[in-house]
Amino acid sequence: MRYIKLPSENFGEFFNSLRAWGKVYGPVKKGKVCSFQEVHGVEEVALDYKRTTLPPKKFFVRPRDAVLKLKNGRWENGVESEPFVLFGLHSCDIHGLKILDKVYLSEPADPYYKARRENATVIGISCIPDEYCFCKSLGTDFAMDGFDLFLHELPDGWLVRVGSVRGHEIAWENEGLFEEVTEGDLANFRAFEEKRAKSFGRKLNKEGLADMLDLAYNSPVWKKYADICLACGNCTMVCPTCRCYEVCDRWLNAYEGVRERRYDSCFMESHGLVAGGHNFRPTRLDRFRHRYYCKSYFDPSAGFNCVGCGRCDEFCPAKIEHVKVLDEVRGSLQ
Amino acid sequence: MSENPYLSYEARILEVKDLTPREKLFTLRFTDPEVGERFDFKPGQFVIVDVRGFGEFPISLCSPPTRKGYFQLCIRKAGRMTKFVHRMEEGDTVGIRGPYGNGFPMEKMEGSNLVLVAGGLGMAPLRSVLWYAIDSGKYEHIWLLYGTKAYEDILFRDEIVHLLRHGEAMNCSVKLAYEVESPSCIYLEEGFSQKVCRGVVTDLFRGEEFDVNKAYALICGPPVMYKFVVRELLNRKLSPGRIYMTLERRMRCGIGKCGHCIVGTSTSIKYVCRDGPVFTYWDALSTRGLI
Ligand SMILES: Cc1cc2nc3c(=O)[nH]c(=O)nc-3n(C[C@H](O)[C@H](O)[C@H](O)COP(=O)(O)OP(=O)(O)OC[C@H]3O[C@@H](n4cnc5c(N)ncnc54)[C@H](O)[C@@H]3O)c2cc1C
Ligand code: SF4
Ligand code: SF4
Ligand code: FES
Repeated sequence: MRYIKLPSENFGEFFNSLRAWGKVYGPVKKGKVCSFQEVHGVEEVALDYKRTTLPPKKFFVRPRDAVLKLKNGRWENGVESEPFVLFGLHSCDIHGLKILDKVYLSEPADPYYKARRENATVIGISCIPDEYCFCKSLGTDFAMDGFDLFLHELPDGWLVRVGSVRGHEIAWENEGLFEEVTEGDLANFRAFEEKRAKSFGRKLNKEGLADMLDLAYNSPVWKKYADICLACGNCTMVCPTCRCYEVCDRWLNAYEGVRERRYDSCFMESHGLVAGGHNFRPTRLDRFRHRYYCKSYFDPSAGFNCVGCGRCDEFCPAKIEHVKVLDEVRGSLQ
Repeated sequence: MSENPYLSYEARILEVKDLTPREKLFTLRFTDPEVGERFDFKPGQFVIVDVRGFGEFPISLCSPPTRKGYFQLCIRKAGRMTKFVHRMEEGDTVGIRGPYGNGFPMEKMEGSNLVLVAGGLGMAPLRSVLWYAIDSGKYEHIWLLYGTKAYEDILFRDEIVHLLRHGEAMNCSVKLAYEVESPSCIYLEEGFSQKVCRGVVTDLFRGEEFDVNKAYALICGPPVMYKFVVRELLNRKLSPGRIYMTLERRMRCGIGKCGHCIVGTSTSIKYVCRDGPVFTYWDALSTRGLI
């Protein structure tokens, strides 16, 4: 990894220079909610935000996406994408993108996702957890790759980790704005990380979790929570690793149509419904449990399907807590 | 521009045949001969049929890959899109993408006995296996145990009757079980007393001895069927690794992206479209929810 320093006084200029790499999107606060929006100056960006409602997946897997266009009875390849910059991603969201990569870039790659991914410049930013975060338990609290630049807050600027060739090019173009990293900067970086590590309130016990959950398939805890759950699907919409989509053809006029993809949720009754009315997950209990199994699936090469961002907890109207459910299910085994 | 895996290739309907009141057999050929040339598949694989402007749905290939120049789909009228396709005629075109899924391991099973167990529409993918096995002549003996509701529901009735009559000459024994009695069924039963009976598909196992060290079972049918058939096979000590079954799930993409066909729990997650639709009974033992 290459480390450089961006002093506070150069931050604005550095930020403005990013526009050379495409439209810039960053976390913007409106009232209590925060979301990734197009930004034109650093003053619009909420540098100390906790989490956005929709994770950055919305730039790659869009909530609604007209993928193919039908003209005169023929599909037209709808893959088009322009360069853009995602500024201010937290480490957990970068890990979320890496999990999506596993799915969407594996053969055969999804061409829409791939084009957008290649066009995206990702700039990470350090954060301090709030009461919902448990990324530390999952090892997603620090990103080792998956970004072009990562900015770590220092008392007098930013320690920048350069994570890719493109990141290197950006630094190059702005050579005059950066300085060498000093011993003092490294000490400050370390102090920040230590402080951050201590401020996690929530912890997931992932020791043997996959097996424990599998063994607890019939645990009454699933039912207890499935009864409270409203099946609204919020938790899946906001999850950086949930990515089920539904497809639907729509006519625009007598000659033109589109094939549209949109977010689907395994909480919807139609998710597992097939012809003849047979449903492979007929009850809310089945669907509730399925999401936890999907999130807690342990892939030996990629880890869990949850990055501990805390969104599902913050945006659950029934106040169901992810870690608590898992702990209780595990507890019900003994 | 790289190829878009979601784009289908145009195929022309060469023939439409009524199989039952609900199912039609479509014979298709790609309009672009080059695409047709490249299109190869294994029994048990499926394609996604694209009715441009209406949607897509998965359908098993039901003809054997040994018959070149065309492929066949047996489509049941089950809803909006399949109803639309049922109104199509010779000369109409649809989009086809695929083949998808893993298919049956035909090469691995060469030299063995195949026990095909079909229930209802499950006959469609197994017909591909059946004719592939007969055409290639690489299998010692083939049993087809086919359970159907009523005489009118027998898929590929002409072929079945033909095999009831002449199957042994092709190393193929066919047995049929029906649930609803009718004059036609009784007539069949009288004609083939050892091979046709009233009952369910598991009744057809009675009196059949398979050398379990030389046999593979290939099952396809409605979800309820698997448990009973598997029990029958396990009773005969057929290894879970020699029992293959093809499963259905809701599918959209067919290539492991849309998430609809995911089954399993925290220790094992499978995509039916990509890891299947053919699984062994061992897979089912290690992945909850598969059957
Ligand atoms: C691997 C595989 C192989 C199949 N092979 C055959 C075959 O050889 N012959 C055949 O007739 N049918 C087959 N099917 C089932 C066929 O895909 C459905 O009957 C078809 O999708 C129904 O579409 P529809 O638009 O007519 O129904 P819709 O109007 O969309 O809906 C009717 C019902 O079908 C369900 N449905 C929608 N999409 C699917 C889907 N992708 N899979 C299953 N059900 C769905 C809906 O939930 C609804 O309950 C197969 C399915 C799979 C997954
Ligand atoms: S399951 Fe919850 S905490 Fe885990 S990644 Fe998804 S939204 Fe974040
Ligand atoms: S957000 Fe909460 S209430 Fe809504 S589906 Fe998820 S767990 Fe259930
Ligand atoms: S059908 Fe989309 S993931 Fe299997």
